[in-house]
Amino acid sequence: MYKYILQSVENLNWLAIIPMLIFMTIFLLSSYRILRRQRSFVDKMAALPLEELQSTEKKA
Amino acid sequence: MTSQAAPLERFAYDNAIVRNFAYATALWGVVGMLVGLLIALQLVFPALNFGIPETTFGRLRPLHTNAVIFAFVGNGIYMGVYYSLQRLLKTRMYSDFLSKFNFWGWQAIIVAAAITLPLGITSSHEYAELEWPIDLAIAVVWIAFGINLFGTILKRREEHLYVAIWFYIATWVTVTILHVFNNLEIPVSLWKSYPAFAGVQDALVQWWYGHNAVAFFLTTPYLGLMYYYLPKAANRPVFSYRLSIIHFWALIFIYIWAGPHHLLYTSLPDWAQSLGMVFSLMLIAPSWGGMLNGLLTLRGAWDKVRSDPVLKMMVVAVTAYGMSTFEGPMMSIKAYNAITHYTDITIGHVHVGALGWNGMLTFGVMYWLVPKLFNTKLYSVKLANAHFWLGTMAILFYAIPLYWAGFTQSLMWKQFTPDGFLVYGNFLETVTQIIPMYLIRALGGAMFLGGIFLMIYNLIKTARQGSLDANEWVEAPGRVKHVAAEGEHWHRWIENKPLTMLVGATIVIMIGGLAEILPMAIIDENVPKIASVQPYTPLELEGRDIYIREGCVGCHSQMIRPFRSETERYGQYSKSGEFIYDRPFLWGSKRTGPDLHRVGGKYPDSWHYNHMLEPEIMSPGSIMPPYPWLITDDLDTTSTAAKIRVLQMLNTPYPEGFDQIAVQDLKKQAAGIAESLRKDGIETERLEDKEIVALIAYLQRLGTDIKVKKERADK
Repeated sequence: MYKYILQSVENLNWLAIIPMLIFMTIFLLSSYRILRRQRSFVDKMAALPLEELQSTEKKA
Repeated sequence: MTSQAAPLERFAYDNAIVRNFAYATALWGVVGMLVGLLIALQLVFPALNFGIPETTFGRLRPLHTNAVIFAFVGNGIYMGVYYSLQRLLKTRMYSDFLSKFNFWGWQAIIVAAAITLPLGITSSHEYAELEWPIDLAIAVVWIAFGINLFGTILKRREEHLYVAIWFYIATWVTVTILHVFNNLEIPVSLWKSYPAFAGVQDALVQWWYGHNAVAFFLTTPYLGLMYYYLPKAANRPVFSYRLSIIHFWALIFIYIWAGPHHLLYTSLPDWAQSLGMVFSLMLIAPSWGGMLNGLLTLRGAWDKVRSDPVLKMMVVAVTAYGMSTFEGPMMSIKAYNAITHYTDITIGHVHVGALGWNGMLTFGVMYWLVPKLFNTKLYSVKLANAHFWLGTMAILFYAIPLYWAGFTQSLMWKQFTPDGFLVYGNFLETVTQIIPMYLIRALGGAMFLGGIFLMIYNLIKTARQGSLDANEWVEAPGRVKHVAAEGEHWHRWIENKPLTMLVGATIVIMIGGLAEILPMAIIDENVPKIASVQPYTPLELEGRDIYIREGCVGCHSQMIRPFRSETERYGQYSKSGEFIYDRPFLWGSKRTGPDLHRVGGKYPDSWHYNHMLEPEIMSPGSIMPPYPWLITDDLDTTSTAAKIRVLQMLNTPYPEGFDQIAVQDLKKQAAGIAESLRKDGIETERLEDKEIVALIAYLQRLGTDIKVKKERADK
């Protein structure tokens, strides 16, 4: 069985393998970094849209 | 990290520009959908083509798609971005001049599109039909938007960039690249150009663009809007900010590869098809991650969804996003694509996205935004709820009949008798069968449009009961420069540096584009040459340009897939080498009429003449519009020589100096066709000078290069 798998590897196009590897790298790196973030920072970022600035009167 | 309290600074949000874009969104939404309704009705009642060029289906379809994508959704993007960007970055837009230039420039482009497309001025690349002067204008306005976007980011008072802004950045950079590459063309005249790529390469670049127009114009900016407006409307933070980051990187990387799924079973090399299919299947993961993140943001707030029309619309929008991003990967599986491609299933699919995702999210944002801009409450929640139900039901009335029609027609195309003959050998039988479905679809479209009128009335009343705060004065602490602490993560570094982020996003999306397009462009074996395939004659070339002008590609494909059901019906399957002189390629993406790739020699010249004059005479029950002007209008040969010269520049092997004798050659061939028509009893005056003769020359040439070779071999 291994023989057949190894034989078929020769037919695999590098164009199919390289993008997969690049994708997995980007996916794993971005996942790893964001999952290691401190909870407080993530919560602050998530709450950014909810911040409302204090309205002031129109400028004279 | 270090941070110090900064003194408060006063500044004003520019609300006037947001209001302007909101008005434009509503206006162009009505225009785009009215045209959509008209062309939907034309498929049921062909008389609604009115027998005049500017109102025929082929010319109006691109007007509908462009108006909805670039005018309705385009203005919706600007509306949403201009409001949220200022608030997320705690600053006014970088330049009021650029904001206004962006607004008026974009509206001018839309008006130019609305004029040129009905006039038949088109490049025929789907969703990129506009000709080169308008392409240049789009580039200028888009760059102005980009400068304004990045200028605002650079002068921000908020150190960190919220994920919505990442989506805006990715949108800008990708649309810029796509627009440039898919519009590489050489002008013949002010309103005519030929693309730099031909045949298979042109098809690949076009669908790399076409799919990513969906991805980076209809999806990523709207995901940015979802990540801002859904939390605002629900008054709670996004379910998982972490998931939104993973969603972002995975989505922008994968999306750019998926274009070839529009070309499955075509003459595109197999490796490119497989690559497109695999990445399309992978897309379901980030897409559903985003959808779930949106829906779960409402955890604990579902009671609000019962009463708040804004949230209702957003829930339908996000659900429709999930639905269409499930359909898309499924339709990219080759076995399923063999059934769905060229049918109304595709039309149903894109409208779940356009009406559900883009439409309902736009409406939800507008119902939330307009009362805010005018410092008042929504005029009528009841009317908004009525709009919600009308719009939601409209999507079902629209999509379900088209799925039904698509499956019905596809199965009819493929059905054989026990003796091995096609059961429905006449294509028209498969069209008349589904016309009732087209009627219900038009009803769905009318309902959706009716909902927009309700919204416009409601929002006008809302605006009138309040007053616009064109410059909303607020105060915020000035920005404190972030100082990285030792060991701080690189991702945070990227996040704080938008230009680095821009470069990162560019690299990520370029990887996919280059890996797919470069091998096609530089490796000759990907498009095997066929010795008998020759360039078009000048008359055929002019006929082809008439075919392009009339938008025939909107209903007729020129790509016979390698299925027995297709080769039995149309002839030999299409080979990539047959298209090497096709600028642009005209493979099409929908068969409302039959494929035409091997129509050459199938009927006599007079059949085509009578068919174009009145299709119903030759094909009773046909829904094709008549083209009487082709019979009466003289063929314009003033740019024939210039066309030959441009094609020579693009390596089409016409003999040297052929441009000088091109018109002479054209007239000679036209005289032959006119003679054949006269033999069949057609007695129009100066027949050889008419446009119809050129079109017949082109149609009779289609797919014959290989047939000629066969005949020679037989001899």
